[in-house]
Amino acid sequence: MTLVHNWHLGRTMEYPYFESRPKQQFAAVFNINRCIACQTCTMAHKSTWTYSKGQEYMWWNNVETKPYGGYPQFWDHKILQLLWDNGNNPMEWYTSAEDMDEKKAPYGLYNGDTIFELAKTKGLNQMAVGYIPDDKEWRFPNIYEDTAASEKINYETEAAKESSELPEHKRWFFYLQRICNHCTYPACLAACPRKAIYKRKEDGIVLIDQKRCRGYRKCVEQCPYKKPMYRGETRISEKCIACYPRIEGKDPITKGRRMEARCMAACVGKIRLNGLLTGDYKNPDPKNPMDWLIHIHKVALPLYPQFGTEPNVYYIPPRWAPRGYLRQMFGPGVDEALDKYAAPSRELMAVLQLFRTTQTMLSRFEIEDGEKIYESEVMGKKVEVYNDTVIGYASDGTEMVRIKVEEPTWESDEKRMITY
Amino acid sequence: MLKKLLWKSVIIVSVSVPLLLNYSGIILSQGLEKEASVEENIPTKEPLVVKYIDSDLNSADKAFEQVDPLKIELQMQDLAFPNGGGSVKELEVRGFHNGETIFFNLRWNDVTKDERAITHEQFRDAVGMMFPLEIVTISPETPFSPRMGDRGKPVNIWHWKADWEKELHVAGGFEHMEDEYPDMWHDFDFDPHPDYFNKRVHESIPLMAGGIATGTLLSKARGRSVEDLNAIGFGTLTSQAHQDVKGKGAWKNGKWDVVVYRPLITPDENDAQFVPGMETFFNVAVWNGVEGDRNGQKNISIRWRPLKIEIVKYKE
Repeated sequence: MTLVHNWHLGRTMEYPYFESRPKQQFAAVFNINRCIACQTCTMAHKSTWTYSKGQEYMWWNNVETKPYGGYPQFWDHKILQLLWDNGNNPMEWYTSAEDMDEKKAPYGLYNGDTIFELAKTKGLNQMAVGYIPDDKEWRFPNIYEDTAASEKINYETEAAKESSELPEHKRWFFYLQRICNHCTYPACLAACPRKAIYKRKEDGIVLIDQKRCRGYRKCVEQCPYKKPMYRGETRISEKCIACYPRIEGKDPITKGRRMEARCMAACVGKIRLNGLLTGDYKNPDPKNPMDWLIHIHKVALPLYPQFGTEPNVYYIPPRWAPRGYLRQMFGPGVDEALDKYAAPSRELMAVLQLFRTTQTMLSRFEIEDGEKIYESEVMGKKVEVYNDTVIGYASDGTEMVRIKVEEPTWESDEKRMITY
Repeated sequence: MLKKLLWKSVIIVSVSVPLLLNYSGIILSQGLEKEASVEENIPTKEPLVVKYIDSDLNSADKAFEQVDPLKIELQMQDLAFPNGGGSVKELEVRGFHNGETIFFNLRWNDVTKDERAITHEQFRDAVGMMFPLEIVTISPETPFSPRMGDRGKPVNIWHWKADWEKELHVAGGFEHMEDEYPDMWHDFDFDPHPDYFNKRVHESIPLMAGGIATGTLLSKARGRSVEDLNAIGFGTLTSQAHQDVKGKGAWKNGKWDVVVYRPLITPDENDAQFVPGMETFFNVAVWNGVEGDRNGQKNISIRWRPLKIEIVKYKE
């Protein structure tokens, strides 16, 4: 084991390999607030990569309903339980001013065991604690769809009589969009005794070498997000490949420029923005939309950072879900992220417009000021909306998109307003 | 000034070197392999004699009755992470050759027959034989790992797999998803003719698979039950481009009975070569599928065994 720095946890942690960050890192921001669970992303993935025999059960992209849903069933409950029952100080975060560091510990300091540390301290025969889900658990990818949290979960005593209101709904559920996180410290990679899994230096994508894999299922066992999957037809394992031919710009449509992954580009609800993080987390680029949302504005948060893998898909948490649940899922950064999202700054308002405007990956944005169009108050905070223009550029500097905050509208002629 | 700097550097070095030595295990280690004991480099005394018997595969059973078995004690693999095994205690090996082909017979107790690896929780029964690729002397002074060979000390491994054996006897030489899930075309489907429709849709598109594209032997019909491999240490196992070993096995009354065979001499430079009259070494390992055995989770012998190949006796 070596010691590596995990900025999600704000500390060094144990990992079987040296710290070796990619030059750039495949990343995405998913805005949970906007997702309607239409599963278009899921089908875009399915029809591209897992339509073939032996992949029937495979959904490299899936959207599940929280708190009960999960694919494979109860994957997160089970990992959390493993940490909770066996780990030291599970889920314990220190968030006082001295535990925070703008660059190395933006969310505070995680004091509990990660999946790697737990496996080591308990002397388990694993690099990371985990389990292999059985057929039954893989079988129902959208089980508990639209099932709200029971009254009992939130309020032990009585049923919620009044209608739900922000900031926290008493009856709630939300959709969680999941793909492989292309972690900085992948547990699947750590688990593979054959080193058949590798993380690409150029874009941080994690892949299983189909020639070296021998179907031992160690990655299936030890990835906490359960995204490597065993294919019975070929006796070896497969996982989300981040549509790497598109990321490399091999698709002719974008003329050699990097292109968003299929599940990202297909998003109807415009919840997804896909791009590359600049490699150095200590010096984020304030003009890169990924760096800005994740490192600088900190409105998008990692999924279960306490696992310790430094996952690279980031979520804007749902405003209405109970904070305790969200802190468990996205770490202590939730309160700040939600404050910022509920009453968005002028810049955030502009950057949010970039979601799903082009298939080309954007690596830079600029904002041109516009006039003030709206003013209101959200949760006691003043919100001013300006009709700014945001411009997105591809990595070669070409302007790919130019969009205003206020959506243009058009009023039809009265003669066309036919009523029956 | 210079003196001061010199003193400073002496102090810094004298502090940092012991620190580095102290923590070098953490700082420099990439794997989790423990040191092998000295005993591991001392081969056992009792050899397996590969007798010359003028026989072939069809009458191999009778030939094996004429030779004495070598009983090999097995233990769990406890050196290379992840560890495992320990459920199979003993393996019986017999060997003979007919001047052209060398035959080994491997028998061990296993109450369950695990000959499929299609679902997530299925693991196959298997047995492996390992030979130094070249002619070597093995002693504590000239160590040679009895586990998976080492850098500069390659081994040739023959790996018999229960599911490959079964697939020799199924149509097409390969088991598919529908063999494990016979209802896969109409599970959860209320179409009156799901069998026809789903099957047709599935078969109308070519099978897309990384395993098939890369030509992995695991992913396609390969017409043999033994894989011919090389290794130079833990995690380096690699399938050969040229496969030379074959086998046949049967499970009866809680016991596997497996024969693996190969021409004594092959044109492949990655194969161990057997010349009648020579002495070399071998080692074995057994995987028990029901226990989740795979890769390093296996039942192993931790000492090399001498292997003596009898000279050919010509009839007058």
